[in-house]
Amino acid sequence: MSWNTARWIFYLGTFISLVLFLGLTVDTHRQIQALTNAERLSSEVIAGKKVWQKYNCNDCHTILGFGSYYGPDMTKVYWRRGAEGIKAVIRTPEKFTTWRKMPRLPLTDTELDQMVSFLQWTGDIDTHDWPPQDQKFRPATGRAVTLGVSPGALLFQEKGCFACHRVYETGGQLGPELTHVGSRLSYEAIEKVLTDPRSVSPLGTMPPTPLSHEERDALAAFLAKMK
Amino acid sequence: MALTYSSQRLAYPYFVVALLLFALQIVVGIWLALSYAVTMPQGLVDILPFSTTRAIHTNLLVLWLLLGFMGTTYFMIPEETEREIYSPVLGYLQLVLLVGVGVVALAGFVFGWTKGKPLLEIPFPLDYLVVVGALIFLFNVGMTILQARRWTVVQGSLFGGLVFLAVMYLFNLPFYSNLSIDWYYWWWVIHLWVEGAWELIAAALTAWILIKITNVPRETVEKWLYVELGLFLFTGIAGTGHHYYWLGAPKYWLWVGGIFSALEPVPILLMVWDAWHYIRNRRDGFKGRLVFTLAVGMSILHFVGAGFWGFLHTLPQINYYTHGSQVTVAHGHIAFFGAYVLLNLMFFYYAIPKLKGLTEFDERRGTLAFWFMSVAMVLMTLAFSVAGVLQTYIERVMGLGYMTAQAQMRFWFATLVVLGSAFLVGVVLTVVDLLTLRPAPARENR
Repeated sequence: MSWNTARWIFYLGTFISLVLFLGLTVDTHRQIQALTNAERLSSEVIAGKKVWQKYNCNDCHTILGFGSYYGPDMTKVYWRRGAEGIKAVIRTPEKFTTWRKMPRLPLTDTELDQMVSFLQWTGDIDTHDWPPQDQKFRPATGRAVTLGVSPGALLFQEKGCFACHRVYETGGQLGPELTHVGSRLSYEAIEKVLTDPRSVSPLGTMPPTPLSHEERDALAAFLAKMK
Repeated sequence: MALTYSSQRLAYPYFVVALLLFALQIVVGIWLALSYAVTMPQGLVDILPFSTTRAIHTNLLVLWLLLGFMGTTYFMIPEETEREIYSPVLGYLQLVLLVGVGVVALAGFVFGWTKGKPLLEIPFPLDYLVVVGALIFLFNVGMTILQARRWTVVQGSLFGGLVFLAVMYLFNLPFYSNLSIDWYYWWWVIHLWVEGAWELIAAALTAWILIKITNVPRETVEKWLYVELGLFLFTGIAGTGHHYYWLGAPKYWLWVGGIFSALEPVPILLMVWDAWHYIRNRRDGFKGRLVFTLAVGMSILHFVGAGFWGFLHTLPQINYYTHGSQVTVAHGHIAFFGAYVLLNLMFFYYAIPKLKGLTEFDERRGTLAFWFMSVAMVLMTLAFSVAGVLQTYIERVMGLGYMTAQAQMRFWFATLVVLGSAFLVGVVLTVVDLLTLRPAPARENR
C-alpha cells in the first residue's frame, strides 16, 4: 500500500464518518423533542432529574439501560410501581428488599414528588419498546375499559398492583393472579391482605399498601367483585 | 545507561502514582464483587452504599490510566521531538494538581458530594480543575512539539488523541434538562474516549514501542498507523450510534450504529496483525522478552475484549435483550484490561528500566504477574458473561423479575470474588515488581 493510499484512508474515512455523524446529530435534535415529549419537560420534572443526580441513584440503577447494575432499571418504574409505589420504596426500602439492600436516603416529601414526576416523564420516552421485560406493564389506557372505571379499578392501577399481580393477562407474575380473586377471598380477607399481608402470608414478600380508609374500602370492593 | 533526555525523568512519579492507584482500584473491585455475592447489612449500606464504592472503583480506573498516558507521553515526546520537555516544573505541578483533585473527589464521594452521572461523578468545581490540569498538560506537550519542528505521524496520533480527549471532556460540563439529550452527549465523552481518542493514543504508543523493540523502519509503521487511525475514526465516530438505540432517538441509529460499530473490530484486528508482523520481522537489538509478551498479549486481548466481546452485543437484535446487563460488565472489564491496562503496563516495562538505568532486569516476577492477571481476567470475563446471559434470559426474555434473575446469577458473583482476588494478586505482584526492578541474574556463560 502506498503512503498516499494510507493517508487517503485516514482523511476520507474520518471525514465521511464525521459528516454523517454530525448531520444525524442535527436531525436527532429535531426529532428528539417529539420522541421525548419535551413539551412535558416541566420545571418539576427537571427538579426531579436534579434529585436523581443528587442522591447518585444512577450508580446502582440503570435508566434507559445506562448506569450501574446493582438494582433494577428505572426507565419504566412508573408503569411498574406508580407514584405511591415509587415513594414507598424510597421511603422504606428495607420493606421491599431481601438479600440485596438499598440505602435509606433522606429525600424530603418535595423531592419525592419531583422524583416521581421525573420518572413518570422518563417512562413516556419513545425507547422503541425498551426494556423488553417492562412492556407488559404498558399503561392499559385502552384496557381501562376491561377493568371498569370504578375508583377501585383506578386505585389498582395507581398503587402499582400491576407490578406483581396479573389481571386479564396484564401485569407481573411475582404474586398470584387476581382476575378471579373475588371467588377465592371475601371482602374482609382482601382488606386484611391489603393492610397487613404478612399476617396472611408470613413467607410472602408483598409489602403493605399505603392507603387511606376510603381507598382501602374502594380497592377491596373492586377486588371482591372480580369473581 | 542514562536517559537520552533528562526531562524524561518526569514520567517516573506519574508511573508510581498510576500503579498505586491501580492496586487500590482492584481492592475496591473485590469489595464490589463481595457486595454482589453476600448480603451487606442495611446499616452499612446506609453509610457506604454500592453506588459510592462503584464510583470510587471507576474513577480510580480513569485517573490511573490517564496519569499513565501522561507519564508515557512525557517519556516519549522528548525522544520523538529530540528536545527536552518545554517545562518539567509545569509537569510536576500538573501531577500534584490532578492527584489532589482525584483524592478530594474520591473522599467527596464518601460524603455524598457527587454530580450523580455515572463515570462522570466528579462535582463541577473539581471538573474545572481537571480542565486546568489538562490544559497545562496540552500546553506543555504542545509547546515541546511546536518548538521542535520535527513532525512525525506518531506525534500526530498521540497529540491528536490527547486534544480529542480533552475537547470531548467538555461535553460533561453542562447540566442537561432532557435525560435523553444528557445521555446523547454523555456518550460523546465515554464512547469517543474509549472508542476514539484513547484508541488514537493507544495506536501511537504501540507504534512507538514497536519501533523501539523491533527496529522495523518508522516509515512502514507510520504508514500503517495512518490506516489504523482512518479505520478507527471511520468505524468509531458513526459507531457512537450503537449507544443510541433505546434512549429516545430516531430509529435510523439502529442501522447506522449497528453497521458502523460492527466494523469497529477491523482496525483492532489490523493492530494485532501489525504487531505480529513487526515482531516476526524484528531486527535484533532490544534485550528482554517481557515487553514483547506484553505487546502481543495486549494486542490480542484488546481485540478479544474490545473487538470481539463488543461485537457480541453491538447488533440491535441482540442488544435489545442484553443492554444494561452483566454482558455489558463482561465486555467493559476485558476491553479496558486488554486495550488500556496492558498498554500502560507494556510501556511501564519499557520505560521504567530505562528510568532506573537498567539495560536488563529480572523478568520472572513480571512475567508471572502478567499471566496471573491475564488468565484471571479472561476467567472473570467468562463468569460475568454467564451471569449476563442468565440475566438476559431470565429477566429480559422470560420477564421473571430483576431479583429472580439475580438469585440465579449469585453463584457467578461468588466466583468473581475468588477470580478477582487472583487478579489482585497479579496486580500487586506487577506493582511491586515495577517499583523494585532488579538487574537480570548473572549468567554462567557469556
